[in-house]
Amino acid sequence: MDSQLVEARALEAEITALRRACVEPPAPGEDTSRVRKSFRETYQADSEGWELSKDLRSHLGHLESEIQFLSTLTGISIRHYSKKTEDLTSTEMTEKSIKKVLQRHRLSGNCHMITFQLEFQLLEIQNEESLSSVITDLSIIMEPTEYSELSEFVSRAEERRDLFMFFRSLHFFVEWCEYRKRTFKRFKEKYPEAVHLSEGASSSCMGIRNPSRPGFELVIVWRIQIDEEGKVLPKLDLLTKVPLQALELDKNGVIETAPLSFRTLLGVLGIEATLESLIKSLHTERVMVFRQSRPARTGNRRLPSPPP
Amino acid sequence: MELANTLSQDGESRGGVLAHLERLETQVSRSRKKMEEPQSAQAEESALGTRIHELRRLRDKLRAEVKQHQASVKASTTNVEPDQTLEITEQESLKRKWENVKAILQAYRFTGISGKLTSRGVCVCISTAFEGNLLDSYFVDLVMRKPLQIHHHSIPVFIPLEEISAKYLQTNIQHFLFTLCEYLNAYSGRKYQADRLQSDFEAFLAGPLQRNSLCNLLSFTYKAEPEGQSFPFCARLLYKDLTTTLPTDVTVTYQGSIFF
Repeated sequence: MDSQLVEARALEAEITALRRACVEPPAPGEDTSRVRKSFRETYQADSEGWELSKDLRSHLGHLESEIQFLSTLTGISIRHYSKKTEDLTSTEMTEKSIKKVLQRHRLSGNCHMITFQLEFQLLEIQNEESLSSVITDLSIIMEPTEYSELSEFVSRAEERRDLFMFFRSLHFFVEWCEYRKRTFKRFKEKYPEAVHLSEGASSSCMGIRNPSRPGFELVIVWRIQIDEEGKVLPKLDLLTKVPLQALELDKNGVIETAPLSFRTLLGVLGIEATLESLIKSLHTERVMVFRQSRPARTGNRRLPSPPP
Repeated sequence: MELANTLSQDGESRGGVLAHLERLETQVSRSRKKMEEPQSAQAEESALGTRIHELRRLRDKLRAEVKQHQASVKASTTNVEPDQTLEITEQESLKRKWENVKAILQAYRFTGISGKLTSRGVCVCISTAFEGNLLDSYFVDLVMRKPLQIHHHSIPVFIPLEEISAKYLQTNIQHFLFTLCEYLNAYSGRKYQADRLQSDFEAFLAGPLQRNSLCNLLSFTYKAEPEGQSFPFCARLLYKDLTTTLPTDVTVTYQGSIFF
């Protein structure tokens, strides 16, 4: 009977443990013990604990430098990544030697000033001939949300489940944003009184005024748009602010045609030279005159990439 | 039954019946004696026995459940937050970091561009996809020297690699890689669409699908209905922009006469 009591107690203990395992996911402690076991097998380390960690440390250092390198190479830093795998192979499929696995991936990191958080599902079906991998779901969270152009782009990427397009367009968008910031900053430093940035260096508008001629202002709106295909294109527009009197004096309608002339100038001189010429023109004593040339067809719709 | 037999033969049976009755009596008294013996212990023993039986059954059931649970959802969470309540030895934390770092390296392939350091420089792997379907990967082996050189690559010959590298490789390597990404993804997407057209719409095609290696010029004849007497249309798709998967020019012509 004693043995029976012992057995009963052992069974009770086992049952409580099993109940706990059923409900909770494997605790981190258990995980590391499993890792430790497999690690020992792979490395076949000797009993010296510090020998093992020395190897590990150097290997870890090597891997970390590889990540740093990749981050510099792509401009994208991944900070966290986790993956869950679920085996969806039914018995029917195993008979036909088809394997179906659903992977749930979670990824977060940043590309310069924009941080992202992605969750996507990857369905892998392997049959005798081939392996097909399909992204079946994609959800993206981005910060900062002050770049309004991005929210539409994000929903389009989610709809299309186009993960690569997301990163590609994100890279080009950030590249253009940085170029815009650099350009505006440079002009602000070169012409501090003439150039006015309402929202600081990362604003999308640059105002040009002449303090000795109040009332006149040229505003350059530089938007960075992402089209349906994921192409990133800069779009610059000129807005003019002119006192009513000046408008009345403007017989040739120069002010009216300024925005169009601006576009033409962009096509000819490029962004930086155009902006510089505008700033300079408002500073001369002579009144600014836009030569109204034949409306040029902006054949090359795609403006050149930003210089490094 | 014995009783029934003995009843028929009166003389001899009487002794038989009595003997039988005696036997039955002793049987009852014996069992009663057994019952009277440490009854509490016996009851306890049987109760414990049934309890063990119950516990065994429950344990087996739970074992099966846990096995199923672990088999169906194999959570290989590699990014484990360090639990402050657990005593983490330096080795364990190092190992966890190692697992984490390894996972992040693998995760780079989901950005479309990943790479491995080589003795010369880096081998960059560019992945392509279309509408969520992961397609071919291509690699470019770069030598980290001034000037940067391409040692080795698997880029198809009709992708303008020389042009792109001449423009960007030396000055802006990120731009070089992402532009190459654009071209390769677009090519992969066009190829995938052409392949699917050929395989999934075989019944609608009246002839083979003609295409060039870049898959930016497609020409085929198709019918509006797979069976029946519908008239064939000739379609010609031109993709002028090599970085897109949508055609820029589509021409559909019809040849033939209509019979009334």
